[in-house]
Amino acid sequence: MGNGVFVVANKTITVALAGNPNSGKTSLFNELAGANQKVGNWSGVTIEKYEGTRNYNGYTIKFVDLPGTYSLTAYSPEEVVARNYIIEEAPDVVVNVLDGTNLDRNLFLTAQLMELETNLIIALNMYDEVKKQKTEINIELLEQLLGSHIIPTSAVKKTGIDNLLDHIVRVFEGNIVIAKNKLSFSDRIEQKLDVIVSLLEKEKELSAKYVVRWLAIKLLENDKEVYALVKEYPVWLRVEKVLQDTYHEFMKHHKEEPEITITEDIYAFIRGAITETAKYHVKVKKTITEWIDTVLINRVLGLPLFFFIMWAMFQFTFKLGEAPMAWIEYLFEYVSLGARYVLPNGMIESVLVDGILAGVGGVLVFLPNIVLLFVALSFLEGTGYMARAAFVVDKVMHSVGLHGKSFLPMITGFGCSIPAIMATRTLKNRGDRIVTMMIIPFMSCGAKLPVYVLLISAFFSPAMAGNILFGIYLFGVIIAVFSALLLKKSMFKGESEPFVMELPPYRMPSFKTVTFQAKYKAEMYVRKAGTVILLASLLIWIASNFPFSTSIEREFESNIAMIVNSDTYNVSEKKAMIRRIEHSKSTAKLEYSIAGRTGKIMEPIIKPLGFDWRIGVALVSGLAAKEVVVSTLGTIYALGESNEESVDLQQKLQADPNFTRATALSLMIFVLLYIPCVAAIGVFRKEAGSWKIVGIYSVYALSVAWIASFIVYRLSLLVGLGS
Amino acid sequence: MDSKLSELKAGDKAEILAVNAKGEIRRRLLDLGVVKGLNVKVVRKAPLGDPIEISFRGCHLTLRLEEAEDIHVNKIGEVGDGKRMNGHHHGKRGFCGGK
Repeated sequence: MGNGVFVVANKTITVALAGNPNSGKTSLFNELAGANQKVGNWSGVTIEKYEGTRNYNGYTIKFVDLPGTYSLTAYSPEEVVARNYIIEEAPDVVVNVLDGTNLDRNLFLTAQLMELETNLIIALNMYDEVKKQKTEINIELLEQLLGSHIIPTSAVKKTGIDNLLDHIVRVFEGNIVIAKNKLSFSDRIEQKLDVIVSLLEKEKELSAKYVVRWLAIKLLENDKEVYALVKEYPVWLRVEKVLQDTYHEFMKHHKEEPEITITEDIYAFIRGAITETAKYHVKVKKTITEWIDTVLINRVLGLPLFFFIMWAMFQFTFKLGEAPMAWIEYLFEYVSLGARYVLPNGMIESVLVDGILAGVGGVLVFLPNIVLLFVALSFLEGTGYMARAAFVVDKVMHSVGLHGKSFLPMITGFGCSIPAIMATRTLKNRGDRIVTMMIIPFMSCGAKLPVYVLLISAFFSPAMAGNILFGIYLFGVIIAVFSALLLKKSMFKGESEPFVMELPPYRMPSFKTVTFQAKYKAEMYVRKAGTVILLASLLIWIASNFPFSTSIEREFESNIAMIVNSDTYNVSEKKAMIRRIEHSKSTAKLEYSIAGRTGKIMEPIIKPLGFDWRIGVALVSGLAAKEVVVSTLGTIYALGESNEESVDLQQKLQADPNFTRATALSLMIFVLLYIPCVAAIGVFRKEAGSWKIVGIYSVYALSVAWIASFIVYRLSLLVGLGS
Repeated sequence: MDSKLSELKAGDKAEILAVNAKGEIRRRLLDLGVVKGLNVKVVRKAPLGDPIEISFRGCHLTLRLEEAEDIHVNKIGEVGDGKRMNGHHHGKRGFCGGK
């Protein structure tokens, strides 16, 4: 530099990536930022925020991937996030990623970015496809029209990346400049803009922070956020008058709002620009995408193929997940065995093995399913099929007040509520999303199956088993549908996402894009297992082991000692008796513990459903994981390790005069409907963003479960299942 | 002939006369390029009859019948009439659509 010593400038450049969904923005971001990425959330909303840094020629370039949007209005959270970032964080450079094969639509966002007068660079992405289609684009001319540098890129072919980086640095340093071009509107809009701009400029604070012309445009477009912003200033009174007059004038003379005129002007500009700069290779035949769609979503095959694809996805998720699930189970089994071997018998061993390892292991076994499901989801999303799936089933979903995109998370709920709740992120509307999350747990998850299997095989004939099982699943779906209608008509009235949606061309998603989501979700899940789940398992362990009673210990120990010392029994008889005493001891201990007492306290509430305190305990411990209902019943009914096929437990349940077929049906319905496991509740809380929603949901689910079980129990008694 | 976009059959072609939807739906339509003067074709209806798919200048869009009801159109052609789907402002083929 100045004194002749070469110094590497270490400057940081912040670059925001803006672009339409399906413009290849995410792939380009992956190419630009490389592996050095982190994922967070935009503050206040559950929209993922991707950031990545890269060193280039001595500069540290920080990339921020803005949510994919078609526009920058105040209607969707994504658009608000994107534009607030550009306005408030003022990134050094904004790279607008365009799908070069879809300029008409993509340039609409470019026009919005031009209004914001940012340092814009355009990445003309998918340029390889543009070439393949023999489209000729006069880049130099388009650069002048848009007032921005245009770099042809292809994230798939990895071309143009260095050129883009180079331009980012040069634009940042002011080494190259292209005269910014103002988007001009028709005279009748420009006149009004001039009036509003001159008013707004009087407010120094506003004009220092914002591009006033942009504010003026947004005011004419009726943008509610900009309205709220300008309202805070004294000049508002005069601005409002102008806006009202303009509105009436437009309606009277042009029969349309200023907003429409502005949009039409932008499209006129875009079309003009494209006509001047692009030459398309005329082709008459159908595109590949159109051919695929004539089969994939036609009126006859559309639904069957949709169901087939869903089926294939679940096969992929759950069948392929079986082996790794077993490995995780083995791993935890070995670790538990090892811990039992190494540690002395007693409290520490118990808390580690029965509490933490059992709890965390029980949650981590679902990890393979989560990874596989998100690989499948990202793949289907990346190809463009997801939008078609929503198209095919929207009618059904819409009839219960939901969006076509709600279908997939709901179906996923049959596997496990956790990935299902995570998958609701595809829903943009908060009301739609929360309602979908609330009904997902009614879709009976895989962990509830052992409970049904145990009870059905204990109380019903094999001929009836299938029907009852199917009936329970169906009952869950009916409750889900009913709840969706109810919630949509009451709490989340009016809030609904319009269905207007692009059906993007089919594309093969990149490996990175497909695996990235899965990796991120897996990390999130593991982190959850290591924190919340660990804590919850610990609490449940404490609840079922404390308070500790020395008198119970002493009583049973002395009983055992008596048997050991007695001469009337042979060795194997002694063993069996000791085993029985050990089991009664754990029952007695459980009864004495917090969990047992809770069960007793609960008894009056659950008595009308045919449940006694033991079932109460099982239901509480079922919050750790639904399968635990079975193992807890096993403990209480004085058995050691029990699973759904343990005939012993079945016989014990049958032998209990208070446990009838009516009780079994009532219990299955309750397990089907009451609140899900702590892991799912944790994810619910994270995705819903507030405990209040979780609270409302819990009260709702518990009430529904209680009422439904009550009705089922009483009806069963009436038809003579009470014995 | 003035009609609603929701009344058209698969294969029909029409020019958009007015987008009368309100609020977010209208904004979404505008952002995706559905404006006055645009020529669209109804590509198909979903298996259950709703929503519908329309195309214009090579772009494909889906919307519900209730949303299409607020879009007034002038029918200009039917399936198999051999009329080419031309954009309003230019005579070339569309800009949308990948492969």
